[in-house]
Amino acid sequence: MYKVVIPGDFLSEEANRAGEGTYVDDGKVYAMKYGIMDDKEEIKVVGLAGKYVPSKGDIVIGKIVEISFPYWIVDIASPYEARLHISELAKGDERRIEFGSMNKYLYLGDLIVAKVLNVDAMMRVDLALKDEFKIGGRGRLIEISHTKVPRVIGRSGSMIKMLKEKCNCFIFIAKNGRIWIKGSDDEMNRASQVVLMIANEAHTSGLTDRVGDFLDSFKKRRG
Amino acid sequence: MMKEEIQLIKEGKRLDGRGFEELRPIKIEVGVLKRADGSCYFELGNNKVIAAVYGPREMHPRHFQDAKMAVIKYRYNMAPFSVDDRKRPGPDRRSVEISKVSREALDPVILKEYYPKTAIDVYVEVLQSDAGTRTAGINAASVALAAAGIPMKDLVSSVAVGKIDGEVVLDLNAVEDNYGEGDMPVAMVARTNTITMLQMDGRFSQEEFERGLKLAASACRTIYELQRTALLERYSESMGEGEA
Amino acid sequence: MGFEIMEDIRKDYVYDLIESGKRVDGRGFREYREISVERDVITRAEGSALVKIGETVILVGVKLEPGEPFADAPNEGVIMTNAELVPMASPDFEPGPPDENSVELARVVDRGIRGSKTIELEKLCIEGGEKVWMVFIDIHVLDNDGNLVDAAALGAIASLLNAHMPTEKYGLSGDDTLPIRDTPVAVTTVEIGGNILADPNLYEETAATSKLTVISNADGTLSGMQKSGSGGLKEEEIAEMVEIGIEKAGEIRRKYLVT
Repeated sequence: MYKVVIPGDFLSEEANRAGEGTYVDDGKVYAMKYGIMDDKEEIKVVGLAGKYVPSKGDIVIGKIVEISFPYWIVDIASPYEARLHISELAKGDERRIEFGSMNKYLYLGDLIVAKVLNVDAMMRVDLALKDEFKIGGRGRLIEISHTKVPRVIGRSGSMIKMLKEKCNCFIFIAKNGRIWIKGSDDEMNRASQVVLMIANEAHTSGLTDRVGDFLDSFKKRRG
Repeated sequence: MMKEEIQLIKEGKRLDGRGFEELRPIKIEVGVLKRADGSCYFELGNNKVIAAVYGPREMHPRHFQDAKMAVIKYRYNMAPFSVDDRKRPGPDRRSVEISKVSREALDPVILKEYYPKTAIDVYVEVLQSDAGTRTAGINAASVALAAAGIPMKDLVSSVAVGKIDGEVVLDLNAVEDNYGEGDMPVAMVARTNTITMLQMDGRFSQEEFERGLKLAASACRTIYELQRTALLERYSESMGEGEA
Repeated sequence: MGFEIMEDIRKDYVYDLIESGKRVDGRGFREYREISVERDVITRAEGSALVKIGETVILVGVKLEPGEPFADAPNEGVIMTNAELVPMASPDFEPGPPDENSVELARVVDRGIRGSKTIELEKLCIEGGEKVWMVFIDIHVLDNDGNLVDAAALGAIASLLNAHMPTEKYGLSGDDTLPIRDTPVAVTTVEIGGNILADPNLYEETAATSKLTVISNADGTLSGMQKSGSGGLKEEEIAEMVEIGIEKAGEIRRKYLVT
């Protein structure tokens, strides 16, 4: 059962169980976010809103917004921009990327899949490229709040599995709330619609069933 | 022009029928704007204000960044039609001061260290004014910040007390503010009884001040409960018994 | 918040959909989003209206004060229209003095009201050459989801229709209803890939290169136009936009302005 809490709500006397989204004051645990309380081993509060802050190991979809040798500056749907060093593209062979040739590899507006390599104390974010890093061709990128991502994936991947099967689409969900969908126009439209539905109704009950019904009804309508 | 005298208390009641320790009706709605990251509409009697929060977002220009924490920016603005005599658009000395003290009222509860180098913008628009707009703005802003998912230790609640016809009363309306003897806006963290804004104009005895502050504190707890309920209700309707 | 398509891809998406006869929000090409007009929401103002077109929200307030007439019209009231794109309404709006977009918005709304002679300014004279009524129309944009002009213009005329003159407050006598003789309505369309779409939302506004606002009156005459955006429009496209403008203005007038 969900319990919505607001900042300052008292959660527990057990300070040793204080987890993410909480703070300890005078030996007691309080909520520091407007969100859902998660009372398992740790007491956590999962935010209902908020901006994405990158942390090491996250897989994100980024957009190249600036070229500043020896880095590409990447927008990752966060208050913090990330950077990608040229060595990430020169890897594996003897290639050297010169100042003037960076845009041959990645240009402004290009979309990439990357892993957060490191975030330092100054909030400088370094990215590493995935093997299949470049996003291109026909496809659609949609952006939802990163707080809704767990819902789109579902419990142990149940929601995304159903989505992929019933929409017959390639769907890639990044931690920063960006979702890459590839398929025919109709399939992409349907998948986008469903993702929108999940994002808008993320905290309602019986969502998986409703999404299932919605997808089935779509199939029937189309015969 | 000489200020005429008006009798503000008749037969133990104020002109709008309220008792001395009575708040005006309050209405709170969360998430009223699409574009903002968090928003709140707050009505206090005839006061109508909206607060919107954007951020944390990149701070421009960069030299205003704080390497260790987020910078809070607060803009209190009155719509030209919000008052009896049209107000010229744009900031004036009054709104600059109100923006500063309101920001400082909220600052102590915001866990700014979670978002170094960013800006959190709080915009408060007064759509209709009837005395007490800064307190209504702080109440709205506090809820909008929570709704935007900003990490905070607590909500902040705010109300004014004043003095009319020699009596200390809660939450002055415009007539009482114009013809009364004093006004004292207060903001506080209801849970910890911490005062984060305190202003006064007019003339109070020390005893009146102390009584006024107690009155404000108790009203802030009432307002806090309303703020809390508004935030919880935003999700409770749709949640039902919940999906495991 | 919640659902956003990244800008560059969004344009393709909007185009693709329109090519197949659809709009992002499922509307017909000539269909408006849901409109709501709530009048007299601000009792401090002499007239006011909260207008919503889809998720665009605008509050218009009308204030009246005695003031000095212009030298070239000593016996006529004065109209002052002002718009504020307050930073609350969009992550792209900045605090500060009015920029070109808010000035354009105010001037287009103003032109529609002035051009149609909607306010009987000659009846707003208090003392010839000395004192007339000043009508301040203040447009406060609260949430921008596209098509601010139509919402602002609708808010302006709705506020004016309900405005009263604060004669008592200024120790004056006479009729206290503001004399209004017409109901100009703005209808904005955009051109995307050769198709004309009414009431563009923010996605469509960003994707379109040309936009035309047509302001028309109760008798079908036109009293204000503004083309904006960096693209060009063909004559027949403009003809279609004007036709849609008059037709839609009639519908909006019947539904929201007839009291």
